Amino acid sequence: MVNTLDPQNFNNFSEASVSVEIETEDMTLNIGPQHPSTHGVLRLVAKVDGEKVHDVKPVLGYMHRGYEKLAEVRSYPQITTLVNRIDWVAGFSNEIPFIAGAERLMEIEVPERAKHIRLILNEMARISSHFVFNGAYALEVGALTPIFYAMEDRERVLDLIESVTGGRFHPNFNRIGGVKPAAGSGPTTKKDIQDLPAGFYRDTKVAMQKVIEAADQFQNLIGGNEVFKKRTKNVGILSAETAEAFGVSGPILRASGVKSDLRTQMDYLPYDQFEYDIPIGENGDCYDRWDVRVKEMIESAKIVLQAIDSMPSGPLQAKVPKVIKVPKGRTYVRAENPKGEMGYYIVSDGGLGPYRLKVRTASFSNLSILPLLLEGALLPDLIAIMGSLDFVLGDVDR
Amino acid sequence: MEEFLSKIQENFIKTDVAFETINIKVESSKWIETHQKLKDEFDLKFFSWLSAIDWDNEVSTGEAPKETVSPSFEIITCLSNVSNNNLVTVSTTINKSEPKITSLVEIYAGANWHEREAYEMFGINFENHPNLEKLYLPDGYEGNPMLKSFELISREVKPWPGEVDVEGMPEESESDESVDG
Amino acid sequence: MTEVFVKVGFLALAALNGAIIFTIMDVKGASWMQRRPGPLHVGLRGFIFPLAEILKFVQKEDIIPTEVDRPVFKWAPAYVMVSCVALFAVVPMSPTLVVADLELGVFFALAISSLGTIGVLTAGWSSANKYSLMGGLRAAGQLIAYELPLILAVVGVVIQAETMSLVGIVEKQIEWGVPFVVGGQIVGFLIFMVAATAEMMRVPFDMPIGESELTMGFMTEYSGIRFLIFYISEYMNMFILCAIASTLFLGGYHVPLLPTEWVNFYGPVVLLTKTAILGFILVAVRWSQPRFREDQLQNLAWKILIPASLINILVTAIMKVGF
Repeated sequence: MVNTLDPQNFNNFSEASVSVEIETEDMTLNIGPQHPSTHGVLRLVAKVDGEKVHDVKPVLGYMHRGYEKLAEVRSYPQITTLVNRIDWVAGFSNEIPFIAGAERLMEIEVPERAKHIRLILNEMARISSHFVFNGAYALEVGALTPIFYAMEDRERVLDLIESVTGGRFHPNFNRIGGVKPAAGSGPTTKKDIQDLPAGFYRDTKVAMQKVIEAADQFQNLIGGNEVFKKRTKNVGILSAETAEAFGVSGPILRASGVKSDLRTQMDYLPYDQFEYDIPIGENGDCYDRWDVRVKEMIESAKIVLQAIDSMPSGPLQAKVPKVIKVPKGRTYVRAENPKGEMGYYIVSDGGLGPYRLKVRTASFSNLSILPLLLEGALLPDLIAIMGSLDFVLGDVDR
Repeated sequence: MEEFLSKIQENFIKTDVAFETINIKVESSKWIETHQKLKDEFDLKFFSWLSAIDWDNEVSTGEAPKETVSPSFEIITCLSNVSNNNLVTVSTTINKSEPKITSLVEIYAGANWHEREAYEMFGINFENHPNLEKLYLPDGYEGNPMLKSFELISREVKPWPGEVDVEGMPEESESDESVDG
Repeated sequence: MTEVFVKVGFLALAALNGAIIFTIMDVKGASWMQRRPGPLHVGLRGFIFPLAEILKFVQKEDIIPTEVDRPVFKWAPAYVMVSCVALFAVVPMSPTLVVADLELGVFFALAISSLGTIGVLTAGWSSANKYSLMGGLRAAGQLIAYELPLILAVVGVVIQAETMSLVGIVEKQIEWGVPFVVGGQIVGFLIFMVAATAEMMRVPFDMPIGESELTMGFMTEYSGIRFLIFYISEYMNMFILCAIASTLFLGGYHVPLLPTEWVNFYGPVVLLTKTAILGFILVAVRWSQPRFREDQLQNLAWKILIPASLINILVTAIMKVGF
């Protein structure tokens, strides 16, 4: 008799399997688009044999808003409003590579202070995105409490982002050549520009300290939980080679043991001035993906604290023409988003808007690995693996 | 980086460097060969993305190119290496009347979804693709939305209000070179 | 005849009240553990919100999908409820305050508790929903697997008490001076509580409901009053299993050092307090643990709990014969 179960995929279950083949029929299970743990409107069509899943087909497009097409009829400043809705969990991070690309083509040198503010908010967006992941992931493996703690801690960070930009999720704060004067600041006459709201440094220091505490708490309470370990260790193992071929980036790639962080290559933000570790995983399983993100939160908080201390003074805006026209040319600018490599390929024809804007999002490539990872998994693992990829449907469908 | 660039220039004829990105232009017949080479010899194992550009003189959305172009599809892939700075884009031009090219799925498994997207958005056929179906668009959807000839219906009904801001700008403000932020 | 009605009425009321108390405890406990206010607005700082909850569900439309097996679908909640209420019949609140002091009380309780499985399975099967079906099957597998350690854990108590009557078991503990959990049945108690948690389908064993996986498991298609019955049964089950655990292992209605002649007065209070303490532990576990996977759950039952409970029986028997 043939044992139909592949022991490499799930150690424990295969031990309990018997070598008698029962005549079974596969059932097609439709998961989503309305399902508690599909992060919005992802739909999976899976064949299930009892609890065992195979042949998963993701069905996308429920959140497709045609940003690439819309970008063709908009001017560059208008596109900034558009792009921070791509990954709404970390809205600020979406603006960075686009603005940097336009600035690169226009050969604008951004003032240091603006760069620092961008960096701080970018890291805050990363922290808030990882908080959401932490809470939601615990929820997906069945722990109902952590999401409340995560949301409470995220709120502090969002408050800070709001105090600077005026928006919690969609800041639309970057301008070509710099950043906009902060929302909470006083009258923005040329002489008296208060770019950051009063008390921002103090509040940030407190909030970042809390972030570090919260991340420690997550590591103890979730990471140290035996049930959580049982559910996530050796589940959904992704090798580095496969990840690279699929273009999987960000924390997922790092969890597979690849020390790759685009922050070291983002020359348009002063990441090289600060010290931080790049946490990597060993096995590339769900637990490592979770662990890498928690550690990243601590590193991000450290970066913000350093950036606050070394904040240069100076203008917020470079001199830019009133009508922004980007010279003819093309460039691909990538950035390390909370989810992975996010980039914009801007093809400019010298007009008011781009001739073509290709948006490369992290979640799209990260999600494309899903059918491979789910082959032969159990249904509860499907949720655990899907959650560990930390995608946002807006980021997948664009 | 320097070494890498000179090696690329030795191997490929049409290359240029812009903003630290190496662009390689190849014939569509050498599409597969080029990528195989870049993956094996140049160690560019990370498949970032694949997409296309519709070059056309008559457009229904956006602005037409300022200089006349020959109508064609340009297909671009972006490859990189996770452990260093090397970033390469490869592009090729294919004919609009017969839009087809060999699929890269055999070399880079990640090209699968990107090619499906290009297929539905531009109508480009990727030969040897294991599952060339629509990715985003619903069944029965007609047309390829990313083509320049495809009209944005909502813009036909009501012009984008934001356009007024930019287009209505008087000429002299442009000569007023800059503003202070 | 009147006596039967009175008894049934008492049972239903007591079980319902227990369920309501446990609902409050669960929801308030959750909000306490999650640093949020929880229910606040319905009277007495939100403490009578279950009444509003019940009224809400009663008002709601009872939706029955077209494809379901109507009679089975309609009656499935009743099975679950009846099994819970009937279970309470043998739990003694005091030597005299017990609906039915059966000779085979333990046997009856365990037999009746299996009846709920049928309700859950039929609910899942008749719903004509794949999630419900998987939930129902998971529930069946789980309840059968955990029935065994539950029974085997009780066998140790039965050996020690030399009776199967629940009143008899409590009397034996009074006679011993200490509850069985101290007097040698600590392993049995732990096994019983783990298995009981699985029987109640609570975290970390809530795969049959598994909200993030199966939406609501076997309850997915239920709404209105039928959903309410499932919902209340869950808490009734929790209440009654905790009461049985207190009776079997914690000395039931009696606390050492209290005079036995007054047991009819303080008995119910003592039992309820013990039940509430056990319930609170379950609440704390529920709001702090993730969920096991289906295969891990089965492994736990068959590979750890059942052998452990067999060893427990063996040790108890040896002790009983030897001393």
